[in-house]
Amino acid sequence: MNVDTFKYDNRIVRAFAVATVVWGIVGMLAGLLAAVQLFFPEANLNFQFITFGRIRPLHTNAVIFAFIGNGMFMGIYYSLQRLCKARMYSDFLSRFNFWGWQLIIVSAALTLPLGLTTSKEYAELEWPIDIAIAVVWVAFSINLFGTIAKRREKHMYVAIWFFIATAITIAVLHIVNSMEMPAGWFKSYSMYAGVQDALVQWWYGHNAVAFFLTTPYLGLMYYFLPKAANRPVFSYRLSIIHFWALVFLYIWAGPHHLLYSALPDWAQSLGMVFSLMLIAPSWGGMLNGLLTLRGAWDRVRQDPVLKFMVVAVTAYGMSTLEGPLLSIKTVNALSHYTDWTVAHVHVGAMGWNGFLTFSMLYYLFPRLYQTVLWSAKLANYHFWIGLLGMMFYCIPIYVAGLTEGLMWKQFNPEGFLQYPNFLETILQVLPMFKLRAVGGTLYLAGVILMVYNLYRTARAGNFEPDTEAQAASLEPVGGAHGKPGWHRLLEGRPLFFTVLTVVAILIGGIVEIIPMFLIKQNVPTLSSVKPYTPLEVLGRDVYIREGCVGCHSQMIRPFRSETERYGEYSKAGEFVYDHPFLWGSERKGPDLAREGGKYPDAWHYTHLDDPRATSPGSIMPRYGWLLTQKMDVEALPARLTALGKVGVPYPADFENGPAQKDLRAQAEIIAVNLKRGSITAEPDREIIALIAYLQRLGTDIKSAPAAADAK
Amino acid sequence: MPNKLREKMLFNLAHSLLREAGSVNGYGLFSFLLFFSFFIGVVVWAFRLKKNYLNHMGELPLDSGERPIHSTDSLPSTNYEPRP
Repeated sequence: MNVDTFKYDNRIVRAFAVATVVWGIVGMLAGLLAAVQLFFPEANLNFQFITFGRIRPLHTNAVIFAFIGNGMFMGIYYSLQRLCKARMYSDFLSRFNFWGWQLIIVSAALTLPLGLTTSKEYAELEWPIDIAIAVVWVAFSINLFGTIAKRREKHMYVAIWFFIATAITIAVLHIVNSMEMPAGWFKSYSMYAGVQDALVQWWYGHNAVAFFLTTPYLGLMYYFLPKAANRPVFSYRLSIIHFWALVFLYIWAGPHHLLYSALPDWAQSLGMVFSLMLIAPSWGGMLNGLLTLRGAWDRVRQDPVLKFMVVAVTAYGMSTLEGPLLSIKTVNALSHYTDWTVAHVHVGAMGWNGFLTFSMLYYLFPRLYQTVLWSAKLANYHFWIGLLGMMFYCIPIYVAGLTEGLMWKQFNPEGFLQYPNFLETILQVLPMFKLRAVGGTLYLAGVILMVYNLYRTARAGNFEPDTEAQAASLEPVGGAHGKPGWHRLLEGRPLFFTVLTVVAILIGGIVEIIPMFLIKQNVPTLSSVKPYTPLEVLGRDVYIREGCVGCHSQMIRPFRSETERYGEYSKAGEFVYDHPFLWGSERKGPDLAREGGKYPDAWHYTHLDDPRATSPGSIMPRYGWLLTQKMDVEALPARLTALGKVGVPYPADFENGPAQKDLRAQAEIIAVNLKRGSITAEPDREIIALIAYLQRLGTDIKSAPAAADAK
Repeated sequence: MPNKLREKMLFNLAHSLLREAGSVNGYGLFSFLLFFSFFIGVVVWAFRLKKNYLNHMGELPLDSGERPIHSTDSLPSTNYEPRP
């Protein structure tokens, strides 16, 4: 038996660790800015690039893909090498993965404030960046599988299974959801429309949570928790069941984001049932983590690394219990569109991902620098401030969410809405919004303590770029003259595993998505629903650019409390030309699905210029620049062509001559309408297009006497 | 409580649960059975695994193969003093 001596690459781990910390602070600052704007809209300084609608996606992307993404790579690059007893397959690919990922983050940080967005949640980045993500992800996957192929440990530890599931599933999700038709370098339209787009998006969105925020971090939990506690995982058997049940079930649960929407009922029910079943594997995993610490709880009291881990695993248990409960239709009827969802995701992001990342950083820095942590006391302060920050963030937002949900649904004894003015319900929860910002500040303060602590640790120690290790080499499966790595990959378990995982994740997607595209019945067409006019297309693009969808839904659920407030509930057939769909997932303002015709053009003009002029106390930002910026008429032909290609039936050659004429005519009418309201406006400004779009919303079905029922 | 009544109540409960779950149709039932059989398969497989294998797998993260002089495997993360 040969004993090999080889070196683990620590540089790549350190690079990702530094990136985790840096982007973590950026992402949390963006979140804080967004939180402050929710009670103090002027905090955007009337600067269009940092309005809530653009900062919110920046915050979510930065936290998910930059902070947690880098944390994930940090943990994987450290643990994978040690579990495989091999250096990473290729140092070049490691560096490519690192720099490529940072470049993607920087381009996201530039394009999102510029309003270049697809508007699909957690998939906002435009198509050139989407391609870059795919390339970097492939590089990561090759490096992952290459390392597994040259491993010196015969068996793959369960953490590696979770890494494989992550690599495969994220690739599938990203490619399917990012199918879009470019209309220029920084604009594209989703291939899918309306209900289908919604289903694909939430199949992606939910599983981005599952396979980007959950599975890799579970793999890391299964590595770092036993490591820090210095004892094996409680039950390896349970971890096997945890893995398979989780990867099989998660993929089905996406439709729980669309309960009571225009999505067909069978898909909603599937989403709900599978979400409920998810409690079992999730809690199996949580208990497995916590029970690993049996007999070591005295150390938890003293070791900050373990402290952070215990809270992380507990938060994982809490949010995976809450998630399925929120997927029960009756609970969702109350919670959806409210801040309850926001609180739910923050338990996961701050508690599970955040605290596990902190614990890994506290674990890794002393080891990378061959020393001990500079101050355990400071780390303990970080722990308590972070925990307090989380409480101050989540509890008020739970209260806010419940309050909103209950107020929206409250009827008075006469049978009318108790709070017919949406604004009332928002003003009620403003104190909670303020407390949330305090919580966020505390959480960030804890992170800054950590940065200082890690910096002092690094300064006190000596960085070891490569750690020498020894392990017995594995006999290549191919025999004496075979090419060992390749043969083992082909004949050993990794390939078998990967195929099984792919099958497990594909079943759910296939059962849900394919019928949605093939069975016509699922999206009944309404003859009165027509494509948007050229002016409305440009207006819709402004709506997308400003991130209006971050606060305004366009999906009226079939409840009396909603139809009383907003009008006729939304039908699947109304969205057949919506590339992308704009149903939204949050209401910080009223639903706009039937906004068309509710107010005169002049009201919209004044309201967009200064929301507080028409609605005192409103928390909507001012959109003064829409009044002065000219609409992008030159982009129109490319956009109409792209929309035509994805299936919007514009007449032949429409985009060249007739479209511009049509646009000018409609804009003139709006200018005249505004004049009637004593407002003088140039018909070529962006606000005209946006008003045209808003006035169109939900009006199509009113124009037809006998619209087919969408059920 | 008579057994008959209890049975009836249980039946009603199950019935209403299924009804509340939306119209659980062929699709839902098929998907559930698919997962259920898959799950049973995994559980049976997991419980048939050998003790040796499971122990070996559990120990895997604890030995990184790092050379004793460099090894950080047993290094404490922090300079805390264990209480007496």
